[in-house]
Amino acid sequence: MNPAALALAQIGAYGLASGLYLGLFLGGGQRLAGWACFLFLLGFAAHLGDIGIGCFDARHPLSSTSEALSFVGWLLAGGFLLASLRNRLATTGAFAAPTVLVFVLLARVLPDSGARAGGSGLATIHILLSTAGEALFALAAVLALIYIVQERRLKRKDFTGLRDGAAPLETLDRLSRLCVLIGFPIFTLAITTGAVLVARLGLLRSGKDIRAEYLFAVVSWFAYGALIIARRSAGWQGRRAAWLTVSGFAAALLVLVGYFLRRLS
Amino acid sequence: MTNALEFVILGLSHRTAPLDVREQLAVSPDELAERLRLLRELPGIAETALLSTCNRVEIYAAVSDRAAAFTALQGHLNTQVAPIAGDRDVHHLIEPHLYRRHGRAAIHHLFRVAASLDSMVVGEPQILGQVKDAFKNGADAGTTGPTLDSCFARAFRVARRIRRETGIGTQPVSVSSVAVDLVRRVFAGFAGRKVLVIGAGEMSALAARSMASEGASIVVTNRTRARAEALAQEHGFGVADFGELEKALAATDVVITSTGARQPILDRARLQRVQRARRFAPIVIVDIAVPRDVEPAASEIEGVFLWDIDDLQKETASHLEGRMREAEQAENVVEEEVVRFLGTVRGQAVGPTIKALRERFSELGRSHAERARSRAGITDPKVAVEFDRMADALINELLHAPQVALKKAAAVDDADVLAGAVQRLFDLPIAAEAQVESDDDADDADDDEVKKNP
Repeated sequence: MNPAALALAQIGAYGLASGLYLGLFLGGGQRLAGWACFLFLLGFAAHLGDIGIGCFDARHPLSSTSEALSFVGWLLAGGFLLASLRNRLATTGAFAAPTVLVFVLLARVLPDSGARAGGSGLATIHILLSTAGEALFALAAVLALIYIVQERRLKRKDFTGLRDGAAPLETLDRLSRLCVLIGFPIFTLAITTGAVLVARLGLLRSGKDIRAEYLFAVVSWFAYGALIIARRSAGWQGRRAAWLTVSGFAAALLVLVGYFLRRLS
Repeated sequence: MTNALEFVILGLSHRTAPLDVREQLAVSPDELAERLRLLRELPGIAETALLSTCNRVEIYAAVSDRAAAFTALQGHLNTQVAPIAGDRDVHHLIEPHLYRRHGRAAIHHLFRVAASLDSMVVGEPQILGQVKDAFKNGADAGTTGPTLDSCFARAFRVARRIRRETGIGTQPVSVSSVAVDLVRRVFAGFAGRKVLVIGAGEMSALAARSMASEGASIVVTNRTRARAEALAQEHGFGVADFGELEKALAATDVVITSTGARQPILDRARLQRVQRARRFAPIVIVDIAVPRDVEPAASEIEGVFLWDIDDLQKETASHLEGRMREAEQAENVVEEEVVRFLGTVRGQAVGPTIKALRERFSELGRSHAERARSRAGITDPKVAVEFDRMADALINELLHAPQVALKKAAAVDDADVLAGAVQRLFDLPIAAEAQVESDDDADDADDDEVKKNP
């Protein structure tokens, strides 16, 4: 199948699903949920097909930043679908679907960076771990963001969009915590391998190539570490934990933005 | 089709009869089998099933003579009521409340009942189970047959489709169930959840009981401990000392409060202390007391979700509005399914006629081809096959238009008339089959709709 057609299909399907999920979140009928889920699944399948064809065409997820980004989007979509099997997450799609769409669009818009620095096995492992860690943090942040919005609505006694398909706050909190718990050790390893790579390439020796994303990566790691400790020792949950999760991801996102800006320049 | 059975309903419901009339006709599970047997023995009743709930008593039957069947069924009901009617005229006691449905209207009514469109609380889920039980009881007693089988099977399908395609039953419509539903917006379930009931009100107990049935552990507290203990004993709840309210609150996930206190018993400062002790973990407080038991400003505290009786009633009204909107859509589904079902039934009605017509013509064609072959002295099997083929092709050409006409008639309402004409014209032997009659005058059944509740 033509990769361009698959790309168009996934963007179209994710886009339409985003619109329908948003309609559901704003109080649209329950019928929207079925169509939204169908289109999201369609996008997910097209996305998988695109990644699969790419693998045969030497465009595997570790071959370039664009492919890695697309893969992160696909992991996010898969995570959302998997979580939806056991939880009422239809309204959560209003955030999950657009996030996936953004990842897919970024993967298309950004210039292909080609093979990674060094192209070594360690670089590949670093990309893999970073990708997986970022995907899990993105999912945790999406869930935390939904928690904040839903909590505010419940406090204001505005039940619009919360009647059908809305996940309970407890579920959102639990899933977000789970994503961080799994994502943190992965991201820790990503930072470690990244540090080894930087040292191996001698980037810090001259002091000229210290990049902002190194700092953001460390800030992000600290934010998630603090979140895990706060949850464990201080019993943080709910709104506080949600804000910290979103802040942690904002830092992680800056790592990506910094990276892409540098690539574009 | 003079031998066909017709689907009819005789009954009364909350729409047509007050409770004192409904309870006189109600049938207990113990006497159901005997009642079905008696109904089946009535003249003209080929199949029957009986539905008896607190809101309706309906007899479903497949009958060969509608007028006689309705008379016999009403006579049966009169007999049941007679022993408890005293000096009152039995016939006039129940007649004004009865409705009779037949043909299309009967199908339409059954579909609406099963889909909970005719229920007192539209969309309530119990009725489908009750209709299923009514049919199963009939089947177990051996009083149902092909006509009722097809009508009920389709009714269950329609009910399921309506549940699936509309939101008619998705939202609760009682204050206590709305309270439970709102708690579910915060917590994923009630298993292992701790619920504190403050006050000994019946409505709080109702909501708490619903949570207990899903695994929550309930504790009651009240200024008068004896009342808390009485309520706890009645429902199997635990009891907490009212003097240690803050301690109980600290260990609670959900609070349902309904005391008669004139001043709030939970003010902002008190709940702030409780939340600090709870490390601001979410707590849902449902305040159904008037005047309110919880200071409204307490909802600003982190982790506190506070809803009062006004919030619950607004949500209930909104759910009811939603149900009525969904009910309109469900009515369209029922209409569509009735048309589809009758189309299927009529299609089945013309099927035997088409089959008999084809057999008659095929027989004639083959015998004439055989005769022509022998007159011409043709013995070559290849030529013989060609003769048969020619006869078949001719018959297909000839019968194409009549077949199409019969199938088209099945889609509207002329199937019986046209099929009867074809049978008479070609002297076709058709076996009598049980089916749902859908004669034109069935729509008049609405006129039989009886007199509203006096």
